[in-house]
Amino acid sequence: MLRKISILALGLALAFFSGLSFYRSRHLKEPVVLGPGVTQVKKLSEYFPAIKGSTNDANVYVLEGAKPGGAILILGGSHPEEPAGRLTTWILTENATLEQGRLFVLNSANRSGTTVTRLGGAYPPDYTIRTPWGEQKFRTGDRWSNPLDQWPDPEVYIHYPSRQELAYVDIRNLNRAWPGRPNGTLTEKTGYALTQLIKKEKVDIVIDLHEAELQYPVISTIVAHQRGQDLAAMASMVISAEEFKIDMENSPKALHGLSHREIGDNTDAVSLLFETPEPFLDATRGRTDARLLLEGKDEFVVRAGKHGLLYEKIDEKGWPIDVRVGRHCSTFIQVLDLWSQDHADKAVVMKNVPKYREVIQKGVGAFLHDPAKADPKTVYYE
Amino acid sequence: MKTIFRICSLLFLVFLLGANSYFLGAGQAQAPKASPPILLTACGQSPDTSTMKVVIQKSKIPYDLVELATVQDLANKKSSGTPYKTIIILMGASLKGMGAAGISIEDEIKRTSELIDAARRDKIMVIGAHIGGMKRRAQGAAVGDNTDELSIDAVAPKSDLLLVLKEGNEDGRFTVIAKQKKIPMIEVEKNLDLIPEIEKLFK
Repeated sequence: MLRKISILALGLALAFFSGLSFYRSRHLKEPVVLGPGVTQVKKLSEYFPAIKGSTNDANVYVLEGAKPGGAILILGGSHPEEPAGRLTTWILTENATLEQGRLFVLNSANRSGTTVTRLGGAYPPDYTIRTPWGEQKFRTGDRWSNPLDQWPDPEVYIHYPSRQELAYVDIRNLNRAWPGRPNGTLTEKTGYALTQLIKKEKVDIVIDLHEAELQYPVISTIVAHQRGQDLAAMASMVISAEEFKIDMENSPKALHGLSHREIGDNTDAVSLLFETPEPFLDATRGRTDARLLLEGKDEFVVRAGKHGLLYEKIDEKGWPIDVRVGRHCSTFIQVLDLWSQDHADKAVVMKNVPKYREVIQKGVGAFLHDPAKADPKTVYYE
Repeated sequence: MKTIFRICSLLFLVFLLGANSYFLGAGQAQAPKASPPILLTACGQSPDTSTMKVVIQKSKIPYDLVELATVQDLANKKSSGTPYKTIIILMGASLKGMGAAGISIEDEIKRTSELIDAARRDKIMVIGAHIGGMKRRAQGAAVGDNTDELSIDAVAPKSDLLLVLKEGNEDGRFTVIAKQKKIPMIEVEKNLDLIPEIEKLFK
């Protein structure tokens, strides 16, 4: 009897502490200190009211220049477990200013995915970025929406509207749910809301920020819809000559649900997706902790590279978060510059965003602002 | 004595010329001049056609990009009165595009081989280009996936000129082909350098 009570008590204690950890992670507040360029903060539900009040009714930060021009939408957190994307959007919302055109930024495109980590993946619940004023915590998140928001998964996921059969779990993957469905799941509704934003705001380019495991062939690259291929090719050439090597890939026409395919097919916008290397995602990784997430160092991934199993180089220096965020920042700046050179009437001229070398030199934290010292009216939470 | 000296000098001169061409190698042979218009295509549906297209656009040279170009495209252009003078074929298979297009590397090799044979008959210059680096050299490819190398074998030895990004030639694969087949080769450090090289080639 005593043995049974002890096991029950142990079980309850484990459930309590793990539940507490899950609760804290799910409700961790991530502050965004609005930079001087942000002119409005909208909610995604303004473009599709059916998601109002849901987990995915995300903040849409709008930056506007004095001079009219084009419109760009940049998405961080389509896959929240790829932190370089979210941190890049933090840098934009807290620092960027616009001289011409409009910029729409989502730091948490799939906010539901930020409130859960990989089931059985032993992910750290959060990670910390050091800044000159202290530390800022971010939720690690997952590739998929939280099952608490969307459950159960079907046996088979039939993508709408292509009717292509995809992996069942990808029904909770925002980057398999484009262009979305108004009466679908939360993830599909989120895709639909974003598609409405693109259409209503007459967005010219959508950029979806991602990271990839080194064992995946589409890495360190810009994936482009056919209408964005010239832009991506030129950006790839210029960046590879001046800063770091980045390739370009064409969006496959027969693979559905992805932003680089569906946005280009279903709206007037050019769609691009950026990938940086993230060893944390590799199947052959060792301990899955916040250090690996941020430093990108893993002896087992290095060993996989020595056996020729990787599509990107890695050594003992790893792939630190500053390098990955720096790549996203520079690629974004270059795409904007090239677009603006060729489309004077739809130019988007942005300032005060650090490039690759500056992010590496100063660290991501140098571009995050202290919410405690900011005017409370300028502090929003993700 | 004078005659012997003259013969020795002549032999020495012949030796120098021979050694010069041997040591320079095919990689440094004089690149031929090319003429527009260009037919741009790939063997393996490489997305690098987009990069080459931008390079050609920047060089302001008339071109057509036909992803699945066939002999019929050459004939159609010829009957329109402005026949293609140059074909640029990108080597290295696509990571996603080829599967997505529903074609195999065998289809691609057959199509490009026919295209090259027709180009020979019509005296059209064939430029084999590999500008995707080691990523289009089967680096990290699945076991048995040698599509990149097959596309190189199908195009490079039959080309009139090779245009190669240095990174994709780090094992000297293209240098060996160029030397063996006596094909001139232009090697660039970065793809941005392709613009002046193409301009020079078509000047």
